Amino acid sequence: MPLKVSSIPTLPRVNSGVAWLVPTTTTLLATILAILPVPVPGYAALTPAFTLMAVYHWTIYRPDLLPPIGVFAIGLTQDLLSGSPVGVGALVLLLARAAVLRARRYFINRTFPFVWTGFALLGATTMLGLWALQCLVQLTVFDVRSTMFRTVLTIAIFPVASFALGRTQRALIGAAG
Amino acid sequence: MIRPSAQLRATIQRTTPPLLILLSAAIVILGKADQTMFETLRTNLTDDAAPVLDALSRPIGAADSVVDWARGIVSMYQENVRLTRENERLLQWQQIALKLTADNGELRGLLKSVPDNAVSYVTARVIANSGGGYVRTVMVNGGADRGLARGQAAITGDGLVGRLTEVGRRAARVLLITDLNSRIPVVIESSHASAVLAGDNSGRPRLLYVSEPNTLKIGDRILTSGDGGIFSPGLPVGVVAALGPGEARVEPYVDLSRLGYVLIVDYGLSGSLPEPVPAVPHSERRVRPAAANEASVR
Repeated sequence: MPLKVSSIPTLPRVNSGVAWLVPTTTTLLATILAILPVPVPGYAALTPAFTLMAVYHWTIYRPDLLPPIGVFAIGLTQDLLSGSPVGVGALVLLLARAAVLRARRYFINRTFPFVWTGFALLGATTMLGLWALQCLVQLTVFDVRSTMFRTVLTIAIFPVASFALGRTQRALIGAAG
Repeated sequence: MIRPSAQLRATIQRTTPPLLILLSAAIVILGKADQTMFETLRTNLTDDAAPVLDALSRPIGAADSVVDWARGIVSMYQENVRLTRENERLLQWQQIALKLTADNGELRGLLKSVPDNAVSYVTARVIANSGGGYVRTVMVNGGADRGLARGQAAITGDGLVGRLTEVGRRAARVLLITDLNSRIPVVIESSHASAVLAGDNSGRPRLLYVSEPNTLKIGDRILTSGDGGIFSPGLPVGVVAALGPGEARVEPYVDLSRLGYVLIVDYGLSGSLPEPVPAVPHSERRVRPAAANEASVR
């Protein structure tokens, strides 16, 4: 099926009610996964940005099923649960979604290394933007090294997340977009 | 049911993302201007999420225990030798402690000194951390219904962890001593110099305003001073681990990245931590005390 290139893409229709909930639920699970207390030294500071991975995946493959209001709600939940300044996570995720949506046509029906490179670019930009925003909101200059390390970790783990989300998508929603 | 026309739906779909981005930006600014604005929302959401986080964090704790157990089996012989030696040493200390307790009791009696406040402990499990690089907090599975209150100290057997900053019904947030916003009045054990331990999100918080900076040396023990009335004096915090020009860093005794259970301690002092002041108009603020007085007169 040829894909229409626009901000409101035509995608395979979803009939099952559960399928509608899959992207939002998995993104929310990613958020919760990120705050679970894994007893690894330094983990809390360097937790990979799981939510960003989920938002990237769904915005590329099923943007119709992860609406901006869902991204907004998940971003706020993330801020409130993690104790971060409210709104920062929501703002960054929404901007990331907008950026992915603009570049979406380049990623459709491409091989995984291409999608991964796209995520690396987006991830690095987003994490740097998040760092700048946090510095601005908390009126301090955070050590940029831990942000860089976190970015590298996030990019490195993305294939695992992408595989898991792809499997979930195929099992519960149907063919990839 | 009225179905919106295709054109209207397209317009809504086009305008929603920028509107939500603007809304998020507005929330960031509002939240910065008035820190208390989202506190109720945060507390409620934390309360609702607590059972989920509690359940999900259990397997992680269990896995960690299994790893510890396996490690224990491997090193059982050496561990036994070490413990036997340590036990001998501790028995000597026990004798000394018993003698000192007796002496202390007699001397206190002579001085008619006031006994320390009664202390109550609540054990709580860590169910979430901050999951990112910009705050250092953990969430614990206990709240107001177990007697927790803002300002109470969180400790482990090793030393100070932090203090409670938000308390819901079922969950509470602990601001770790490494957080950017943490400021703890401390005392250097050897010199009795006072200082403030200031977190900066790194693993080693800084010592600020040291009253006798020249006496500071690596390995000095840092204890809470009890100034400000938030913590009880004498809680172990850490040791001076690095000394630079005008900068001293403290290695906390507690491994803050592997917190399983913490003790929340009530020294009966937490009333002294001021509640966050909501941003109310000045006119309202002036009216309040008068109304309170009136009520008490009646």
